[in-house]
Amino acid sequence: MLKYVNTGVVFQEIPDEVTLAINISGCPCRCPGCHSQYLWEDIGLPLNTEALDDFIERFGNDITCLAFMGGDADPKGVCMLAEYIHETYPQFKVAWYSGRLRLPANIKKTDFDYVKIGPYIRHLGPLKSPTTNQRLYRQTEDGEFEDITYRFWRKVAL
Amino acid sequence: MEIKNFTITKRDGSKDRFSLDKIMNAITKAFESVDEPADLGTISKIISHLDIKDDIKVEDIQNQVEVALMREGYYKVAKSFILYRQEHTEDRETLEKMMFLSEYMESMNAATGSKYDANANVEHKNIATLIGELPKSNFIRLNRRLLTERIKKMYGKQLADEYIDKLTHHFIYKNDETSLANYCASITMYPWLIGGTLSIGGNSTAPTNLKSFCGGFVNMVFMVSSMLSGACATPEFLMYMNYFLGKEYGQDYYKRANEQADLSLKKRTLDKIITDYFEQIVYTLNQPTGARNYQAVFWNIAYYDKYYFQSIFGEFYFPDGSQPDWDGLSWLQKRFMKWFNKERTKTLLTFPVETMALLVDENGECKDKEWGEFTAEMYSEGHSFFTYMSDNADSLSSCCRLRNEITDNGFSYTLGAGGVSTGSKSVLTINLNRCIQYAVNNKMDYLEYLGEVIDLCHKVQMAYNENLKELQDHGMLPLFDAGYININRQYLTIGINGLVEAAEFMGLKITPNDEYKAFVQGILGLIEKYNKQYRTKEVMFNCEMIPAENVGVKHAKWDREDGYFVPRDCYNSYFYVVEDDSLSVIDKFKLHGAPYIEHLTGGSALHMNLEEHLSKEQYLHLLKVAAMEGCNYFTFNIPNTVCNKCGHIDKRYLHECPECHSKDVDYMTRIIGYLKRVSNFSQARQEEAARRFYAHAEK
Repeated sequence: MLKYVNTGVVFQEIPDEVTLAINISGCPCRCPGCHSQYLWEDIGLPLNTEALDDFIERFGNDITCLAFMGGDADPKGVCMLAEYIHETYPQFKVAWYSGRLRLPANIKKTDFDYVKIGPYIRHLGPLKSPTTNQRLYRQTEDGEFEDITYRFWRKVAL
Repeated sequence: MEIKNFTITKRDGSKDRFSLDKIMNAITKAFESVDEPADLGTISKIISHLDIKDDIKVEDIQNQVEVALMREGYYKVAKSFILYRQEHTEDRETLEKMMFLSEYMESMNAATGSKYDANANVEHKNIATLIGELPKSNFIRLNRRLLTERIKKMYGKQLADEYIDKLTHHFIYKNDETSLANYCASITMYPWLIGGTLSIGGNSTAPTNLKSFCGGFVNMVFMVSSMLSGACATPEFLMYMNYFLGKEYGQDYYKRANEQADLSLKKRTLDKIITDYFEQIVYTLNQPTGARNYQAVFWNIAYYDKYYFQSIFGEFYFPDGSQPDWDGLSWLQKRFMKWFNKERTKTLLTFPVETMALLVDENGECKDKEWGEFTAEMYSEGHSFFTYMSDNADSLSSCCRLRNEITDNGFSYTLGAGGVSTGSKSVLTINLNRCIQYAVNNKMDYLEYLGEVIDLCHKVQMAYNENLKELQDHGMLPLFDAGYININRQYLTIGINGLVEAAEFMGLKITPNDEYKAFVQGILGLIEKYNKQYRTKEVMFNCEMIPAENVGVKHAKWDREDGYFVPRDCYNSYFYVVEDDSLSVIDKFKLHGAPYIEHLTGGSALHMNLEEHLSKEQYLHLLKVAAMEGCNYFTFNIPNTVCNKCGHIDKRYLHECPECHSKDVDYMTRIIGYLKRVSNFSQARQEEAARRFYAHAEK
C-alpha cells in the first residue's frame, strides 16, 4: 500500500504549474546521496483516493497539478491514483517523479501529464545540472512525450 | 521625621542609600546663594516637613523641599532652588544629546543608531542625518503636549492622562511622533497642472510642455513631500506625461518611438528621449533630501488596466479640453515598467513604489487580459511591484499600503479626478499583544478591554484632527487649501500590531482555521465598529495592519522587558508567522484572503516571499489564486543579490556573485513597501529578514 509523509505546494518541480507535491514513503531506489532518506522507510498515512479527495477539497483550484513524488514500490498503485484524478477531477494535471531508469511495461504512460524518470546519480547531478541523467517529459496534445529537462537549465540572469 | 535606613531611587533608576547630609547641603547652598542666613534650626524645620518613604525618587524629595521652603516663607530661597534644579535639568539634557551623538557615530548604520524612529530609508549616516536625528525627542514632547492639551479641552484631563499612561506603558504607539506634518497622501496633480506651484508657496507656473512637466514634477513632489511625514503618491504621473508627450509628438507618438526625434549629435530616438526623462525623474527623486532628514521622498505611482483607467479617468478633461488617451498610456506604462526593471539591475532604486490596479471577474480572471498577462510577465522578469485586485473599481490602492474606497469618481474642473485622492492624516497603533495579555492576566474580557483602548484611540485621533484643523485655519497647510489633498478623503488611521502574537498567546494555531479566523474577525470587527461610530461628515477612520520594521521591534522589546509572552523579536505585519515554513504559498494567500482582510479597511499588503522566480504561467495562476481567495493586495518578494565587491546586481537570490564570484554579497528585499539593502535595516530587523522563510522547491 502506498503511504505519504507530507505534501507541499511547489513551483520548481513542474515548469509552469502550481503543484501539490505528495511525498511518498517506502522508496526502494535508495540512491546514494539521496536528499530525502526519510522517505526510504515505510512510514506515514495511507495514500488512497480518500486522501486525494481531501487534498483537492483543501486546495481546490488554487493548484493546477498533483505530483506523486516516488511510489516506485507500487507503480501500479500510482497509476491507478493518476487515473482516478483524471477521471474525477479532469481540471488537474498529474505528474510522477519516479526514480527508476524507465517506467515498468504495465504502466499506462498516458495517465500522466508529466513524468520524471531516472535515479539520482551524484556525479551527474540533479535535474538542474546540465549533465544530469534524469529526464522530465511532458505529454503533448497528440499523446507524445516531449523532453523538457532543458527548462531546469535556464541560467540567464533575469 | 525619623531617619531610618532608606533607599532612594536615582534618575537613572538605580538605588542609593538615603543621605540626610546631601539634602541639608543642598538647602544650605540655596540659602547661601541668596545671602540668607541659615542656622541649623531653620534647616531642621524645613527638613521636618519632608515625608521620606523608602525608594522615593530624587525628584520627589526636591519637590518637597521646594514646598517646604515656601511654607516657611523663604520664597527667595525657593526660587533660587528651583532655578538651580532647572539649570541642572537642561545640563543633563545636553549631556544626553552628547551621549546620543557619540553613540550614533559609533552605531552600525543609520537605522540602528536612530533612537526614536529607526528607518531603513536612510542609507548613510552623516552630519545631515545626525542633524535630523537630534531634535526628534523635542518633537515627541511637543507633539504629546499639543495633543494632550487638546484632549483636555475636548474630553477632560482624565482622558489626557489615560492617553499618556497607555502610551508610556506601550499599550498604544503613536506613529511618526517625531514629525509635525500629517502623515501621507495620494495627491491630485490637477491644481498644479492649472496653476503651477504658486499656491503651495513655490514660484513655478503651470507646466506647458514635456520639459517643464518633467522638471516641474520633480520640484512639485519635493515640495509636497516636505509637508508630509510619510509617502506622497502621484497616481496620475504617467497619465499626465502621456498627455504632454501627445501634445509634443502627436497622440500616436508611441507608434513612432524608434524614429529620430532629436537634432543633436546624439540623434536620439523618441524612445530614448522618453527614457531619458524617466531617468531624470527617477534618479532625482531617489536622492536623499535635505528637508526630509536626508531621506529620499517616499514616492508612489500607480498603473491601471483598461477598466480601472475608464472608471477613474473616464470623465477626466485636461485644460485644453482633451481627454486622456488609453492606448498611449497603456504603452507608456509598459515602457516605464520595462525601463525601471532594467534600470534596477544597474542601481538600487527604491522609488517609485509601484502598484498595479487590476479588475477581475467572478472567476478570478483578469478582465483586461492584456494587462493581466503583462503583470505576470513583469513578475517573471523579476520586477518587484504591488498588485491591487478588485472585482469592482470601487476601491484603489494608490499609496504604498493604503486602500481607499472610491466614493467620488467624478471629475471637477478645479480638483481633477476624485478617485485618486486619499491618504492618512495620522496613525495611532494598538499593541494588540500587550492589550490582550493584560486583559487576560487581569481576568477581564479581552474584547471589552480592547473596546476601551479602541475608544480612547478614536478620541485621541479626533483631538489630532482638531489640531490639524487649527493648523489649516492659520494657513499652515497649503496642500489642503490648494486642493492637492482633499481633506475629506483623508483617513484617521487605527494601526494594529502584534495580532499574530496575541493569537499565539491565546493558544491558537496560525493556519487557515476557524478559531483563528474568528479571533481575527472579532478584533478587526470591533475596530471597524468604532470606526463607523466615530465617523462624521468630516472625519473618516480606517484600520491598517502597519508595516512594522520599527514598531514591531520596539513592541517585542518592551513587552519582553515587562514580562509578557513574546514569541519573536519583531512582531509580524502579516496574518501568518513569517518564519513558519510549514505554511504553503496557498495557505498564505488564504490567510490574507477575504475573511481575514474584510475589516481591514486601511489595507495590508501580503509580501509573498519566494526564494526563486516563477514562470509567467505560474504567476498568472497565482494572480487567479489571489483573486479567488480575496487577497486583494500583494507583492512577490524574491531577494535580489548585490555584490559588495564588484557592485553587480542580480535579480536572483544567490550566495555568490555570478560576476566576480565573491561571497561577500548583500540582499535587497522588501520589508515594508520599500526595496532596500538588508544591511540598511536596523539590527533587529535584519535578524527578521534572515529568519524569513522563502518558499522554495523541496527537491
